[in-house]
Amino acid sequence: MLIVALGCIAVMVSATSSSAHTDKAPSWCGPKKITLGLTDGFGGNSWRLVTTASARSEAAKCPSVSSLTYADGQGNTQKAISDIQGMVAKGVNALVVFPDAGKAILPALTSAYKAGVITVPYRVTPGGKAGVNYNVFIDTPFVNAGKDWGNWIKQVLPNGGNVLMLSGPQGNSQGVEENKGLHQVLDPTHKYKFIGAQPFEVTNWDPALTQKVLSADIAKYSKIDVIVSDFGPSLVGALPEFTKSHRSIPALATSDGNVLGCFWQKNHAKNPTFKLFTVSTQNDHARLAIDWAVALATGGKKPSTTHFPALTFENSVTGKPHPVECQASLPGDIYLSAELPAKVQAKLVKK
Amino acid sequence: MGSDTRTVGQTEAKAVVPRGSRNVLSRGLATVVAATGLLFLLSELVASSSVTRGTLLTMFPFASALAIAGLGQTLVVMQGGIDLSIAGGLSLYVVIATKYPAGVNSRLWPAIGIAVGAAIIAGLVNGFLIGRMRLNPIVATLGTNALLFGAVLWYSAGIPTTTTARLSRVGGGVWLGIPIPVYIAVVTTALVTVVIKLTPVGRRFEGVGANATSAFTAGIRVRRYAGGAYVWAQLLYCLAAIVHASIVNQPTAYEGNNYLLPSVAAVVLGGTSLLGGRGNLVATAVAALFLSQLDQFVLALGVSYAARTLVQAGALAVGVAIYTIDWRVVARRAFPRRASTLAPT
Repeated sequence: MLIVALGCIAVMVSATSSSAHTDKAPSWCGPKKITLGLTDGFGGNSWRLVTTASARSEAAKCPSVSSLTYADGQGNTQKAISDIQGMVAKGVNALVVFPDAGKAILPALTSAYKAGVITVPYRVTPGGKAGVNYNVFIDTPFVNAGKDWGNWIKQVLPNGGNVLMLSGPQGNSQGVEENKGLHQVLDPTHKYKFIGAQPFEVTNWDPALTQKVLSADIAKYSKIDVIVSDFGPSLVGALPEFTKSHRSIPALATSDGNVLGCFWQKNHAKNPTFKLFTVSTQNDHARLAIDWAVALATGGKKPSTTHFPALTFENSVTGKPHPVECQASLPGDIYLSAELPAKVQAKLVKK
Repeated sequence: MGSDTRTVGQTEAKAVVPRGSRNVLSRGLATVVAATGLLFLLSELVASSSVTRGTLLTMFPFASALAIAGLGQTLVVMQGGIDLSIAGGLSLYVVIATKYPAGVNSRLWPAIGIAVGAAIIAGLVNGFLIGRMRLNPIVATLGTNALLFGAVLWYSAGIPTTTTARLSRVGGGVWLGIPIPVYIAVVTTALVTVVIKLTPVGRRFEGVGANATSAFTAGIRVRRYAGGAYVWAQLLYCLAAIVHASIVNQPTAYEGNNYLLPSVAAVVLGGTSLLGGRGNLVATAVAALFLSQLDQFVLALGVSYAARTLVQAGALAVGVAIYTIDWRVVARRAFPRRASTLAPT
């Protein structure tokens, strides 16, 4: 916790020196003093740590937010529900929720909303309706990430090829949506063949299982032209399977992570087909949710959208919007696409 | 190895394996070796991509780590116990072996030292609760498991760390065409088997597991052996964790969860009775190979994730059925007249 606090102070200090945020409060920050609550369904990985720290640093931009209380559901739905109820009982004015358990969280959100707390779930859909069960839901169109990957594949493999997609648990909505986006872009060309299990190979986002799945596919398909994955860093252990089979690592369309960028820099020279394209892992999604909650509670100006966009990040072919980035001296588990400075993230994950 | 001094329930359950213990040992090994041979044959015929060199180079290291973890579980099961803390323990040792060095090779040995220390402490806690306090092994190891996961989260905050280059070289290394983890697993299996089967300490260990009362009357310090099994088990999990960390470049903080069920499955498929007694250590190691190849086989078949899970569950059910059902009785009931001509399975 101390490190988290230090991290936030560092962010606040750097914000003071480098931007106008503290000179003039952002437009979403109104005059009314409030206390803010933030609950997570599961907080135990580096992505969540960076996301939570991003939320804190966003809230720190608004002087009307007098305190921010955080609770980690630790993957336990019951705890996530009681965390929300606890926040309401404590009397927070606004509550931002990462509803990992989806619809199971809806009753708790509804009761918070009905108790007069500004309630803003984000990222995972809890069902229900804005204005009935909560104030507003801040979503992200996963289908657009699929479209971005598809468009890049068309550029690097204009003559078509075999596409292998990997995602998390069977049927997870993120993977299903991304797959839809890919098909929308690639199917009309009739040049691309989707190989492996459909809609995607199940890896549970687990590096060991990813390794087994990928080695099975390498043996099975003599030609894999591009791999699409929604969790790039988990592939770092699995991609050397191509080298073991004396094959060049194929093109990769995925999400960013420092460990992946460094892996690409180390290996792309020996693997001529290894081109890399990443979308942002979206740690800053939490910032938009905070903006909305604070705007509604303090009487600030509402942000213009409730959708957090899928942003492209690295492209090894064009270098736009960014070339592949690697900060070798910093830990692998940080996300250079996030607004939170890399060094602050490094302190967070090193604890 | 009479079971007359056990409780009535245990006597009845043990009675379904009426043959002599020497026979059970050879039957367990023969069955699992035959099943593994058949599986490789089937792999070659039906899903040949699961037996290519590249796939085998991936499968064997995972099988090796599972075999070592399975040996630990076998030691506990031989004492009539079960160790559910393998999930938390293995996760903790993986985290220590990766996070403490944090990429610096020279810190690898101290990390391994700390992991071994943690394993001894975890084993002593289990051993004390079960060997001395006589707590139920399921309850005690479930509690220890929660403590160990607490330690995992305290130390790592759930964040994965990339394995050091030196450790990765071990996991990814190949000597004479065979992955290095395989040598580690073979040597470990041989060592544990020799100690258990050929030394006085090992014989006493087996004796305590088979019949604690008889062992006690023979002057053996029963509690020390029953509790000691948990310490040795944790040390083997620690070795399995180090091998696992060397194979997976960036292991998560929860890798041990992948070993809980397979380690028990390897023990059962290897023919070691869950009621304790003689352990088939080599058979457990072969069963680990069977389970890992089964994983790779169903992956190569390209069937859906649901079908994959069903095939694995089916294999386990068949394995358990082979050892726990008295097929002669089943055959006699199904075909009353011809029963005498049927050979026992």
